[in-house]
Amino acid sequence: MTRPAATGLPTPDDLFENAPCGYLVLSEDGTIRMVNGTFCRWLSCARAELVGKRIAARLSVSSRIAYETHFMPLLRLGGASHEISFDFLDAGGGAFPASVSALFCPAGEQESSIRLTVFPAVQRRRYERGLLEAREASEVARHSELETGKLREQFVAVLGHDLRNPLAAVSAGVRALSREGTTERGARVLVLMEGSVQRMFGLIENILDFARARLGGGIVLTQCITDQLPAILSQVVDELRATNPDRVIDATFDLRTPVECDPSRIAQLVSNLLGNAISHGATDRPVRLSAVSTASGDLTVIVTNEGPTIPPDAMDRLFEPFVRGASSGYSEGLGLGLHIASEIAKAHDAVLDVTSEDGVTSFRLRLSSVRAS
Amino acid sequence: MFAHGYGCDQGMWRYVAPQFSEEFRILTFDHVGSGGSDSNAFDPAKYATLKGYAEDVIEIAREASVQGGIFVGHSVSAMIGVLAAIDAPELFDELVLVCPSPYFLNDGDYLGGFTQGDIDELLASMSNNYAAWSNTMAPAIIGNADRPELGQELASAFCRMDPAIAGTFARATFTSDNRPDLPKVSARTLVLQCRDDILAGEHIGAYVASQVPDASLVILDATGHCPNLSAPHAVNEAIKAFVGSP
Repeated sequence: MTRPAATGLPTPDDLFENAPCGYLVLSEDGTIRMVNGTFCRWLSCARAELVGKRIAARLSVSSRIAYETHFMPLLRLGGASHEISFDFLDAGGGAFPASVSALFCPAGEQESSIRLTVFPAVQRRRYERGLLEAREASEVARHSELETGKLREQFVAVLGHDLRNPLAAVSAGVRALSREGTTERGARVLVLMEGSVQRMFGLIENILDFARARLGGGIVLTQCITDQLPAILSQVVDELRATNPDRVIDATFDLRTPVECDPSRIAQLVSNLLGNAISHGATDRPVRLSAVSTASGDLTVIVTNEGPTIPPDAMDRLFEPFVRGASSGYSEGLGLGLHIASEIAKAHDAVLDVTSEDGVTSFRLRLSSVRAS
Repeated sequence: MFAHGYGCDQGMWRYVAPQFSEEFRILTFDHVGSGGSDSNAFDPAKYATLKGYAEDVIEIAREASVQGGIFVGHSVSAMIGVLAAIDAPELFDELVLVCPSPYFLNDGDYLGGFTQGDIDELLASMSNNYAAWSNTMAPAIIGNADRPELGQELASAFCRMDPAIAGTFARATFTSDNRPDLPKVSARTLVLQCRDDILAGEHIGAYVASQVPDASLVILDATGHCPNLSAPHAVNEAIKAFVGSP
């Protein structure tokens, strides 16, 4: 269909020559057969410098390799190759970043050829580079954050370890002095000192466990079927009685059936719960501990104190690390005791829950003999 | 056993391998990181040199109980085949090296075709501008226009390279110097060479043929680096003549 020139529409030649993209026709071996004015202008090349030459000669080295190893194979196998990033070389040898799409036209009325459109890709490259840099930067940031966290936790672990040794020396010294015989006042002071040392041991233990858990190892259990729980728990109670001589701890055990657990961890859990009850319970009311094992080997431990009811909004965060009771009059610890207790329970696949109503707060551990692990 | 070169996958052999299926058992595969291979199997340390790829060739060949077979390797796989044939000479009696280059860098009298700067630019562009590689999803394969779903399925794994892997593979390909290995090849060898191959010039084909003890050189009536696609007929004729001759 021919159109009258009067309509003023561009001719097909003009459409090709002045298209808003570079437009080339190549023979099958990559020789440039036709090239439009737009492409010549972009590369500051005369048409005669391009026609009859291989297009690869106008590509940067890396683009040339991509052209041979990737672009041409795709074109031959797939018939088309879209959005390939190439750097063309302009007359002065400068790079012209472009996005290239090509179509393979098999031989028909004409011989086979490759049609190629070229779009500038300066902005797109910048954008891609920006994306890559952003990704690398976030990768670096994430890495350094991980490093810092790891370092912090290693610091805590090492510090905890280094604190224990001098403390053990103090503890041994206190015991040695107790045996020497001293004044009545001196004996009282030594008991208080030993209490402080034991509390310090407990705090360090909790810090170490916290750091260990955060370092990825979690709390490691050494489980066995034990009938030693009454003795072990009695020792925990005695220690706390010794360090809190003005407080009453009522303990009742019914642990005739052996229980499968890590006994030293259960002792640590009970010690933490009792320590918490002593800190937060009413000073004139007893703290109660009951530990019962059923015939099937299930273990239930309940620690109860009387005193202020825990507000509901505080209940949710009770087992999180570094949470400290607001009402407690003095600074008893780091707020790791309940967190570690709950971690020990978790490691046992046990349930540790809490109720606090009408001035009675009760922590309950339920350890089932039938466990997933 | 047909091994594809850098930048594509076993699809490179679709016009060649089937021509031999009546007379031979045919093995084609994708190198790890290319085409439909499992990218998770990519171990940067193993594939830092061509030796890693050669180990895979040996493993595949042994798994398929190849003995006294014919290895056809294109481009970098020509050198991968050379390494495999040296390490496990029982596997292949004959090697066909299509557009091989034992070393891409210029070194004294030896003209590999590229300067260190060229290779550095290539490797930098792999990491900086890898959209060129990650974006190259092929459209529907010719002849499947009426079944676009098939085209898409093929496109997703077709000539695709994981950009991160492409960089490592490029480094192994373009920086390894396999010239000292050529004299160690005991297999009967055919070197196929094209004209106007910007990756491996004619003198390189001649060099390879002169260094491998039992080698002959055939210059194909083809241009470029991929005669297996641009001139499969010439490739097939040359290979048939070679394997048919004593």
